[in-house]
Amino acid sequence: MLSELINPYYLQVATFILLNIILGVSIYITLGTGQLSLGHAGFMSIGAYTSAILTLNYNVPLVIGIIIAAVFTGFIGVLIGFPALRLQGVYLAIATLGFGEVIRVLFINWEGLTNGAIGIRGIPHLGREILSFSESLGFSPGMIGLKNNQFVSLAVFLVLLIISIGVIWFFIRQSNSRIGRAFASIKMDEEASEAMGINITYYKILAFGQGALLAGFAGALYAHLTAYISPSDFGYHRAVEILIFAIFGGSEVIWGPIFGAIFLSTMPEFLRVISEYRFMIYGALLVLMMAFRPQGLIDTNVVNWIKRPRLKKKEGKHGTGNKKDK
Amino acid sequence: MVLEIKKISKNFGGIQALTDVSFSIEQGEVLGLIGPNGAGKTTMFNMITAMFPPSSGEIGFLGQSLSGLKPHEITKRGICRTFQNIRLFSELTVRENVMVGNHCRLTTGVLQSVFRTKYQKQEEENVLRNSDEILEIVGLSEFGQTIAKNLSYGQQRRLEIARALASRPQLLLLDEPAAGMNEKETNDLFDLIKKIQALNITILLIEHDMPLVMRICSRIVVLNFGKKIAEGTPSSIQNNKEVIEAYLGVEEEDELA
Ligand SMILES: Nc1ncnc2c1ncn2[C@@H]1O[C@H](COP(=O)(O)OP(=O)(O)OP(=O)(O)O)[C@@H](O)[C@H]1O
Ligand SMILES: [Mg+2]
Repeated sequence: MLSELINPYYLQVATFILLNIILGVSIYITLGTGQLSLGHAGFMSIGAYTSAILTLNYNVPLVIGIIIAAVFTGFIGVLIGFPALRLQGVYLAIATLGFGEVIRVLFINWEGLTNGAIGIRGIPHLGREILSFSESLGFSPGMIGLKNNQFVSLAVFLVLLIISIGVIWFFIRQSNSRIGRAFASIKMDEEASEAMGINITYYKILAFGQGALLAGFAGALYAHLTAYISPSDFGYHRAVEILIFAIFGGSEVIWGPIFGAIFLSTMPEFLRVISEYRFMIYGALLVLMMAFRPQGLIDTNVVNWIKRPRLKKKEGKHGTGNKKDK
Repeated sequence: MVLEIKKISKNFGGIQALTDVSFSIEQGEVLGLIGPNGAGKTTMFNMITAMFPPSSGEIGFLGQSLSGLKPHEITKRGICRTFQNIRLFSELTVRENVMVGNHCRLTTGVLQSVFRTKYQKQEEENVLRNSDEILEIVGLSEFGQTIAKNLSYGQQRRLEIARALASRPQLLLLDEPAAGMNEKETNDLFDLIKKIQALNITILLIEHDMPLVMRICSRIVVLNFGKKIAEGTPSSIQNNKEVIEAYLGVEEEDELA
């Protein structure tokens, strides 16, 4: 019964959608302080390679590998965050895109460690680790009427689901707090928030580091989901893909990039054509969104509308007269 | 003495915005800072709040030098300002704007915020209460949930003051708070400044509305072309020849330029 409902292919698709949600949130966090970073493919690759190398070459347990990879990437993010403070808007975007490319080229050329352009194979697979762990506890998928590959896909999906919910929960909580208010005010007016007593250096670096940590975390998960990584997985098309989650879905509220990630990763599954012309469509989307809805599809108004369909809006009267006498 | 400005000069790549300006502010007073357009008044605020470093000179606050501090550190020390060209967080609600102003008096960090410790909850309750109290003072209680940009001009000016008050300053810097206000709003502003003074907060006021300045300030400092040209009581300033000339001379200067 259960075994007929579980299609490993769909579960895998759903798992990668969850991974994309985490990536979407990672760029949203950094954007939350007004910093547009296109380095998230680079951060993702740092996480992926760190965990792959640790687990493969040093026999570090998978969970520990992922955690170390995420923290290490966050640390790199903080280091990059300092020079990033000096750059604004499109200059920051270009510099971080360059950072991602530098990392990619570094991974291609550091053959001793990364196996160069060929990439790393045989990375411990999250699903199989879960399977062998449960078998060591005396459990076998057959006991609940599942084939091994069904169980593996289901377990991986559930793990990713719990992680994604945890990540979303974490950042919703953070945004409804003193930290979130500081982020929001910096995004709206950096100088004014500084004058109101907010340490903008700290918060901008915090946001940059958190975004990097999350991207590194997603990268490490990616390595253990695919068991194979190469530098070409983290090229600039990936950076654009992550960006488009936030641009298309929206970057005002966390639901924006989540919606963007779900929608844009699901569509190609339904329409093969989209898959072929994916990056052309992304490009067109970027242009269209910038022209017609720069805040993305899901903004505060949409969220309010969903939450309170009949909210009464209080409009203030606008002041009259401009006086400047002496 | 709350604030002591010692020979502050500021040069913006050739433009001498301030030249050796010195004055001081006594505890509890409302000191007016006036002068024609471009006299350097806002620049003086930017020096006090460390938005820019002075080219030379020093500023002392409650007996300690402010040199080398960052703007947010100045705010924490107890000086907060409003902006001449309103700079609210326009997409946040009125109440959230005030809560941001309270930021430097709070201590919860990321983990406490996410895991909602008892201390964090208590602190958030206090922030809400403080903000509502301050909105009450400035008369914006009923607009707490309004998005800041939807307020009228005069209300936005008062929200700027509320946001600054939330940082619990000892010295409040107001940059043309009456600009764009009608007569009734200006009268309300007068009452508000009196109320703030009664809270034992010292005020430095930049304002072009002379009747308001004369009515509310205990002393006035006059700047012209970045130099202090007079200092004294409202009546002595009103009768000061150099001050009158500075104000009348503006048109002449404009023609020359
Ligand atoms: N950031 C800056 N860069 C360059 N020049 C500046 C800067 N800020 C102010 N100035 C110049 O310094 C001078 C003083 O300006 P300031 O804004 O302090 O005048 P103000 O007295 O506040 O005038 P107003 O009454 O019009 O507000 C002006 O000539 C102005 O152009
Ligand atoms: Mg000014």
